[in-house]
Amino acid sequence: MTTSDVSQSQPRSWRSSFLPYLMVAPPLLLMVLLIFLPAIQSVIRTLTIDVEGQPGFSISRYLAFFNDPISVSNLLFTFQITFLVIVAIFIVCFPLALYLRFADGKIASAVQILALFPLFVPGIILCYALIRFLGTRGTLESILGVFGFTGYHTPYLKPEAIVFGLVWESIPFTVLVLTAGLRQVSNELIECARDVGANNWQIFVRIILPLIKRPVLIVFSLTFLGIFGAYTVPYLLGPASPQMMGVFMQQTFGGYRRPDDAETQAVITFIICSLVGFLYVRTVVSQRATQEDAT
Amino acid sequence: MTTADISYPTGFWENTRRSFAATLRRDGFGFIALIVLALLILGPLYSVILWAFAERWTYPSLIPQQFGFKFWGMTLERADIAAALPFSIVLSLVVTFISACICLPAAYAFARLRFRGRQMFLLSFLATNAFPRFGLYISIAVIFFRLSLIGTVPGVILIQLVNTLLLMIWIPTAAFQGVDRSLEEAALDVGATPLRVFIQITLPLVMPALSAALLLTFVNTFYEAQGALIVGLPRIVTMPVLMYSLINSQLVVQYGAIVALILWLPSLLLLAAANRLLRGGYLTAGFGV
Repeated sequence: MTTSDVSQSQPRSWRSSFLPYLMVAPPLLLMVLLIFLPAIQSVIRTLTIDVEGQPGFSISRYLAFFNDPISVSNLLFTFQITFLVIVAIFIVCFPLALYLRFADGKIASAVQILALFPLFVPGIILCYALIRFLGTRGTLESILGVFGFTGYHTPYLKPEAIVFGLVWESIPFTVLVLTAGLRQVSNELIECARDVGANNWQIFVRIILPLIKRPVLIVFSLTFLGIFGAYTVPYLLGPASPQMMGVFMQQTFGGYRRPDDAETQAVITFIICSLVGFLYVRTVVSQRATQEDAT
Repeated sequence: MTTADISYPTGFWENTRRSFAATLRRDGFGFIALIVLALLILGPLYSVILWAFAERWTYPSLIPQQFGFKFWGMTLERADIAAALPFSIVLSLVVTFISACICLPAAYAFARLRFRGRQMFLLSFLATNAFPRFGLYISIAVIFFRLSLIGTVPGVILIQLVNTLLLMIWIPTAAFQGVDRSLEEAALDVGATPLRVFIQITLPLVMPALSAALLLTFVNTFYEAQGALIVGLPRIVTMPVLMYSLINSQLVVQYGAIVALILWLPSLLLLAAANRLLRGGYLTAGFGV
């Protein structure tokens, strides 16, 4: 803040102290009304009205959820998919990001274009495309047939298809965030390590990994939240049972018309994701603080 | 090359083989990554594009046996598609416009004005990403149900606005912060009014970032399907929501493929601006990074 700002704002202090709040109020209000309020209200409602609809504090809705084998298997299934997708994303994207950070040339730029391309393919189109591509007698089976490979079993309507679709969607964001993180690792640092005899693996574990902790945490947390809140890919590509939480909630809410149960399921995902959501916010905040210090 | 007397075809293939082997040695990982990515990323899109123009395509042919536009007419004549497409475009434009109206003044305040809690309020918009999306939509839908907002246009607009906040505030805030204040002060010194300074100096400088934010918001909103599905149905059907039913009750494969292609057009806007979006770091801005 410059001194001229202060001297200007002094005489009209009432206006200048209210004006900023007036300007930021509409989006803040919208966020409070459409995120915090619904979330808090769901927590309160599911805890204060029991399964029979009697008012009073009760955890009976949650007991009912965890006593229902279908609900529990859907929740466990969501965890499984989350775990598999996160592992797969790092296995696919870490080598890609490392490659794009250190390689150049025509092949590297082509790889980059391909890796970012899914950004421009919306989820719903992807699902349709994957059904035609991965499905029985789809394009992939035809292509494999050309190379004499028979015995293709389609992953469509199986958990593998969900993993494939979710990983496909996550590649660009993960590669972008990881490559941006890797650019902070200077070439000199790696040269130095090499000079004192470090091999590639040691360089990766001792130097690169610690320096890109934040990008990794951001990818991890956003992927986790994204999968727990996913609907389109699991609904269109996955099995009818078990279901992922998003599909389960939609069916409970829209299909069976049981909004109270759907709300209980929603709160359970909130609770599971709260730690991860907190991790995400904290990581982004600390990353921004570092960036602001640097500039 | 050791033997000079190789005839042209053999030499050609030998050269190709050699340069291929050299590429593989020099950049083996990149080469394999390129092939695998090309298959798995372009393969699905290849299927959709060809299906849209196929009149007959049976397994195991790699390309349709018969191309044609027969299904385009049939698809575009469908009443549900003819209604949903313009509605989706108008809806996304309205959401983008409202989002800009409420977020841009806030972004200006965050960037330029000093007030207590500024940083905290700015960071609080990260909360829009910190909830599992679908659970949140269920919570919102339960409230909308009591307010009779289910199946109404205002309900869909509200739920879609939530997703636009972070992008529409963070990108413009950073842009306003990036404007060199000395330019504005110089203009004020020579007697320009604050409004004129804003229109003639500040606005042109932040315009690239603002247009990126508007474009991303429009495209993201156009493809937003989950909120519109849960709050909009049964009366409000946007294009992506229609796509769900086309996929699930796919009697004619081509309908889905053609709608997918039409639906894809707004993404081509993004693709056209991809380089600028990438260099500005806007592509990941919606995630707060």
